[in-house]
Amino acid sequence: MRKFLLLSIGLVMLAGLCFAQPVEIKVWHYWGGFEAVPFQAVIDGFNASQTKAKAVAQYLPREELNRQYTIGLAGGNLPDVAMVDNPDHASYAAMGLFLDITDRVKAWEGYGKFFEGPWLSCTYQGKVYGVPQNSNCLALYYNVDMLKAAGVNPPATWDELAAAAKKLTKSGVYALAISAIGNEEGTFQYLPWLLSSGATITKLDSPESVKSLTFLTNLVKNGFMSSEVINWTQADAEKQFATGRAAMMVNGPWNLQAVQTDAPSMNWYLAKIPKDKKYTSVLGGENMGITATSQYPNEAWSFLKYMSGTSVMESYMTTSGKFPPRSDVMNGSDFWKSDRLLKVFADQMQFAMPRGPHPRWPDISNAISTALQEALSKTKTPGQALKDAQVKVTKALSS
Amino acid sequence: MRRATYEKGDRRVGYLWVLPALAFMVAFIGYPIVYNLILSFQKVDVMNIKTAVKPFIGIDNYKEIFSGDVLSTSVMNTLFFTIGCLVLQFSIGFALALFFTSGFRLQIRLRGLLTVAWMVPSTVVALLFKFMLSPSCGILNYILVGIGILREPIGWLTSSSTALWGTIIANTWIGIPFNMILLTAGISGIPDELYESAAIDGATSAQRFFWITLPLLKPAMYAVLILGFVYTFKVFDLIYVMTNGGPVHATEVLSTYAYKLSFERFHFSEGAAAANVLFACLFIVALGYLRLVRGDEEIRA
Repeated sequence: MRKFLLLSIGLVMLAGLCFAQPVEIKVWHYWGGFEAVPFQAVIDGFNASQTKAKAVAQYLPREELNRQYTIGLAGGNLPDVAMVDNPDHASYAAMGLFLDITDRVKAWEGYGKFFEGPWLSCTYQGKVYGVPQNSNCLALYYNVDMLKAAGVNPPATWDELAAAAKKLTKSGVYALAISAIGNEEGTFQYLPWLLSSGATITKLDSPESVKSLTFLTNLVKNGFMSSEVINWTQADAEKQFATGRAAMMVNGPWNLQAVQTDAPSMNWYLAKIPKDKKYTSVLGGENMGITATSQYPNEAWSFLKYMSGTSVMESYMTTSGKFPPRSDVMNGSDFWKSDRLLKVFADQMQFAMPRGPHPRWPDISNAISTALQEALSKTKTPGQALKDAQVKVTKALSS
Repeated sequence: MRRATYEKGDRRVGYLWVLPALAFMVAFIGYPIVYNLILSFQKVDVMNIKTAVKPFIGIDNYKEIFSGDVLSTSVMNTLFFTIGCLVLQFSIGFALALFFTSGFRLQIRLRGLLTVAWMVPSTVVALLFKFMLSPSCGILNYILVGIGILREPIGWLTSSSTALWGTIIANTWIGIPFNMILLTAGISGIPDELYESAAIDGATSAQRFFWITLPLLKPAMYAVLILGFVYTFKVFDLIYVMTNGGPVHATEVLSTYAYKLSFERFHFSEGAAAANVLFACLFIVALGYLRLVRGDEEIRA
């Protein structure tokens, strides 16, 4: 009898152990290198904060991650929480990758606390399919010593930029480095120029658009900007700047650490991207959503809530060099106002425009980056390149 | 009579033996090809990939990609790239193979060293050549300007007229050892007696090359060329890393175009159609090769 009692107690305990076993939440992301550490801290923090779920992060390079999502959609393996680049979010929502979390979000303390741009990028047809994980934008990096030697101030307008570029260009040194590669990165870098001219993405053949593309094309034509920009990623542009082969570059806050590491003794600072009619930047950042196939949507939602809580978000952003998508976090802290470098980005951030959101954004983006490449490589005139791009955009918007 | 039944039974057992291989081929080679073919006749894009509704739209996807100018550019680029690489790597590989079978000390070691190029992952080669071809810090421009061939550095990969050549140079570098090794094996397989007796009969070295080496090397050459063609025609990673198909499609090949359609722009069916164009090209080449080999065997028989 006693033996039986012991056995049954043992069994109950065993069963209890099994039940208490936390469920595993798979989180896929593309934070490698410098960026992996602060994100892992969020994951560890979540796992330590409760016992119901255990988040497991899986890194994949960005292109590979996108490929895995599309393959997974056609009937394969998907995570519980998926990270996407924010302009792609609408496409993936349309494809059915993400769970509609509108109701959960509306009952949450964070609802209404996010900046509009990042928040809209998570929505599709009025429903919410995720939460913004971080925000960023582009600004102008400049080499203080080179500008001083050339006797110019950091340019604030296109005219000043063109004038400064002439003085800054020397043998082996270009005035400006950007990334004009033929993909989303190129579009991302071109948009501040396009939008500053007063042009819009849905009317690419307007005189304003042509003016913006002509301006960049002339920088290459005059030798102020390398013709290689059409092959450069933003990481390549950073290398040019850090090695002193470019006096200025347009880049994001995620490269602050890279410049500090690559060129510890260089004297450099930041400014807003020179404007034509108005200051603009482009809103970058990533979103995270629960996949429609997740078996544990409740636990996945707890993770998203934990990640987006004010204190967790603040410590993640301050350690990762990224910007909080929540306005109460951004305004509630002195960090972004006091940091010598980040305050410039924070200033630029208020001019950052979102891309899309539109499920056909990849087509629109492709049209824009193709036009950029055609003009900068002198394959087509800026006017012709943008006229052809407009045809593609019209088609994408109507399909 | 007895022999016939024996053969028949033999054949039945034979079918049984090939069954596992056949099942493997159907599952892992046949299914993707058929699936891709079906996909290319459907309308599957960002709006309906996950729904069950995948309408058949006939050859509309093919019409769509053939109506743009990117597909024809990609086909021409792929062909130019393949033939350019084959000519260069085959001739250089052949010359090296002859050199390394001429019988001198260290030849095996040196040959081994040369195969390193083939063992380096192609993405690494792509990055190396991207740096070497760069106009601002690349060694190639440095040398060419230094010895006075060029007046100023060329942006090999950033100019539409030279970008494809840049990728051809990189891929040739990878392909040379492959050609060299297979041809060396072929040359080593030719019996020395043939050369000796030819020499006794008074054949010059040129005659020996054209009447002994070349004809006996024909099967090896066919194999090298066809393998090289297939391998080069479906190039992806090298170009993806070096130029991503740019500038403005100047190095766009069928594989990168199909990849971008499917995975960057989510036009899955059009991507499948582009991939099928690639497949069809290789299929035709493979058929041609089989015919060539069979014809050769019949002549010999």
